[in-house]
Amino acid sequence: MTAADDDRLARAALSRISEPGDLRITRLVNELGAATVYGGLRLERDLEGVLTDVAARLVAVDPGRELEQAARLGVRFVVPGDPEWPHQLDALAAAEPVQERGGVPLGLWVRGPLRLDELDRSVAVVGSRSATTYGAGVAADVAARTARAGFVVVSGAAFGIDQAAHRGAVAAGGRSVAVLACGADRVYPAAHRALIDHLAAEGAVVSETPPGGAPTRLRFLSRNRVIAALVRGTVVVEAAVRSGALNTANWASRLNRPLMGVPGPVTSAPSQGVHQLIRVGAATLVTSGDDVLELLGDAGEHLVDEPRGRTRPRDRLTVRHQQVLDAVPSERTAATDSIARTAGIGLREVRTALDRLERDGLVERVEGGWRLAALAHT
Amino acid sequence: MPFATAHTVSLHGALGHLIDVQTDVSPGQVGLTLVGRPDPSLNEARDRCRMAVLNSRLEWPSTRRITVLLSPADLVKRGTHFDLAVAVSILAAAGTVPPRALAGTAFIGELTLDGGLRSVPGVLPMVLAAAERGLRRVFVPEPQAREAAMVPGMTVIGMRSLGQVVAELRGEEVPEAPPVAPMSGSRLLSWRGSERRDELDLSHLVGMADARYAVEIAAAGGHHLMLSGPKGSGKTSLAERIPGILPDLTPEESLELTAIHSLAGALEPGDGMLVRPPWCAPHHDASKTSLLGGGLGQVRPGELSRAHAGVLFLDEFPLFRTDVIDALRQPLESGEVTVARRDESVTLPARGMVVLACNPCPCGEYTPQVSENRCQCREAQRRDYRARITGPVADRIDILRHLTPIRPHDRDDLFGPPEESAAVRARVEAARLRQAERYAGTSWRLNGQAPGPMLREHWPLERAGQSLVDDAAYTGRLTQRGAARVHRVAWTVADLRGLRQPGVAEVQTALHLRTGEPLLLSALERRAG
Repeated sequence: MTAADDDRLARAALSRISEPGDLRITRLVNELGAATVYGGLRLERDLEGVLTDVAARLVAVDPGRELEQAARLGVRFVVPGDPEWPHQLDALAAAEPVQERGGVPLGLWVRGPLRLDELDRSVAVVGSRSATTYGAGVAADVAARTARAGFVVVSGAAFGIDQAAHRGAVAAGGRSVAVLACGADRVYPAAHRALIDHLAAEGAVVSETPPGGAPTRLRFLSRNRVIAALVRGTVVVEAAVRSGALNTANWASRLNRPLMGVPGPVTSAPSQGVHQLIRVGAATLVTSGDDVLELLGDAGEHLVDEPRGRTRPRDRLTVRHQQVLDAVPSERTAATDSIARTAGIGLREVRTALDRLERDGLVERVEGGWRLAALAHT
Repeated sequence: MPFATAHTVSLHGALGHLIDVQTDVSPGQVGLTLVGRPDPSLNEARDRCRMAVLNSRLEWPSTRRITVLLSPADLVKRGTHFDLAVAVSILAAAGTVPPRALAGTAFIGELTLDGGLRSVPGVLPMVLAAAERGLRRVFVPEPQAREAAMVPGMTVIGMRSLGQVVAELRGEEVPEAPPVAPMSGSRLLSWRGSERRDELDLSHLVGMADARYAVEIAAAGGHHLMLSGPKGSGKTSLAERIPGILPDLTPEESLELTAIHSLAGALEPGDGMLVRPPWCAPHHDASKTSLLGGGLGQVRPGELSRAHAGVLFLDEFPLFRTDVIDALRQPLESGEVTVARRDESVTLPARGMVVLACNPCPCGEYTPQVSENRCQCREAQRRDYRARITGPVADRIDILRHLTPIRPHDRDDLFGPPEESAAVRARVEAARLRQAERYAGTSWRLNGQAPGPMLREHWPLERAGQSLVDDAAYTGRLTQRGAARVHRVAWTVADLRGLRQPGVAEVQTALHLRTGEPLLLSALERRAG
């Protein structure tokens, strides 16, 4: 048995006996290696009090069988060192923990054909379960646009924004990955079976929790850190002030990855969390998939044109010519000297200016002076 | 005895008055006088009756003085359907027909010079009125016998000519007569064939979850709805599918609607009782009269009344004439139209759902996303256009929804295939049933029609929900009228969810529906059924 196999078995065992993102475990593994930590625990060394917590589970665990059973469910275990390992996760080692959860995952349980190392161009679209139709629409738009540009869309599998993001990406013919808080073989929420099955068939369903694991509240928090660490940047579409999506946003900030927020009406409760992120400067305001691509694309790849109104013929005039044009009355005809008086500009310059304006089609010469031409009204 | 009375009915809007046509035939200056405020078309009855009688080879009392009184004499009477009653009453007074045979019987129909009996508009409401006044038998033009027979407990005799009527009254064998031509229709304003609409199903539309829900609520509670959005966002497609999610009319509604259509002369012989909710979509050039009712002579119901218990769709609403828009205020509030004229005031029911559609600007292209905006309108034009949408009529609209153009990914959505109309209709029906039970014994049937003060007193919101409405009214997000409308919509939301009373979530949804704010996805999920 090679060292790599030992490492994988040890990680599988640790993944089964510990909670995802348990700081003591992730730190120990980082310092000593998974095999050493697992070996130590089996020799009943109570490393940082972990043994006391896991003793009961430790007796029952059989990592070899664990991996076999997972394989039968179509779930593979991807660990650091595998060719498929997404290296962007390694940044978690240095990121400050949130609520005593953190560190690089021991490994990821994956169901689906999409390889995790293809997630180098990816974006997380996250938000509230209690989203509005507006939020769902924007999430689907953003996901569809970025997916069409080749980005993999990553999200949870909850109601609301998560679901809308996947639907948008899938409908656009793009690829989508769901990161779950329960085992990758499970379907939670049950109503999303069709969605999760589709992702498992076409994209990937990923979890830090081994197969069969239940979706507990704390596992959602650890899950959020995986989402934020897997992607280039995170878009928060709608999040109330106490939403889990803000936890994901927090992780994105700690990882120094671009964090983006889609604004909503200031009166809308589900947008308050996003507005707060933008207000304190944590998130960049984005309004569309194009805005997201500009931030996440390679330098100069997806530049967005500055939004601006139509250029009108008036806009190209010099200030003094505009002054003359303003002095031409809109309803009636005016003589040149009257225009000069109104404009407060010398007669000679006004004559030149009017000639120029006539060439531009802004004024017309008529009996008794000048009047505005149709173009000046646009 | 040279005196006889025949009965007929005079219509004033949907109100029918029983009219006694009394005739006296006695010696005096030869001639025929018709008194009791007949209008010109009724005055011509004298000539029609005389010629019809003579050409039916019956005896006209040509050597005596004939006086016909239409009583009560103070009511203005108009229309040509009095002919038959006038002719029969003269014949009875002259002894051609036994006067006893006229008792308890109403006569309706216009006479031709050759004695034929022609169809007239409004037979159903006339027969309804006659039945209400205790008459048990009615003579009507043959093509309208089916229409008249919709009234329970009425013996209907459909006849082709005066000769047939007289024979029947005399108890003789009824002679042959040429068939009577049915009335020419007046469907000038219904511009979409009803066959086409039967095939429209909600499952053909993609996306629009928000607006679908709004339409379902509007249908369930009979609420007025405004759909706003740029060209091609599906406003018309959605509105056209509303009749498809409405349940069949209740027997009561069915009778009312058929009576209205009969008044409008829009009932075709084969139609029978109208059982499906109507759909009226007048063009924005429509006049005030065609929309609200009126016209010369007999007051004809407008589109608003013809859409009673159904849907009146006003596409491109801001392009309607200002007087039309202003005139909509009262009917939107009260569910009836009052046409007031010099010496009469006629009220017609108009309890349909009004669905308004409008663009964001006159050209219909405006969108706030600058990069996608192709609008050519000037700011002043946009302002004028919007002023019409936000005026007093908008304040009477219960539900406002902004539609966005369909995105490609709406079309290819794999999860959540669009629901079929039948499924939505089942929920709407259940919600309407709850309302019918709750409002049994009142004069209204749906939340959208319930008077605000009655709702507040008997069917209040729970405290937390009410304070949500009060806050919105206090901060100016809602007008007082708007608060009452939110109250009604909240009940409909609760009815669709199968709840006993609206809670905070239902009031929240109603508020969003009224103000045009996006709905919570959870609100869409929580439908009973």
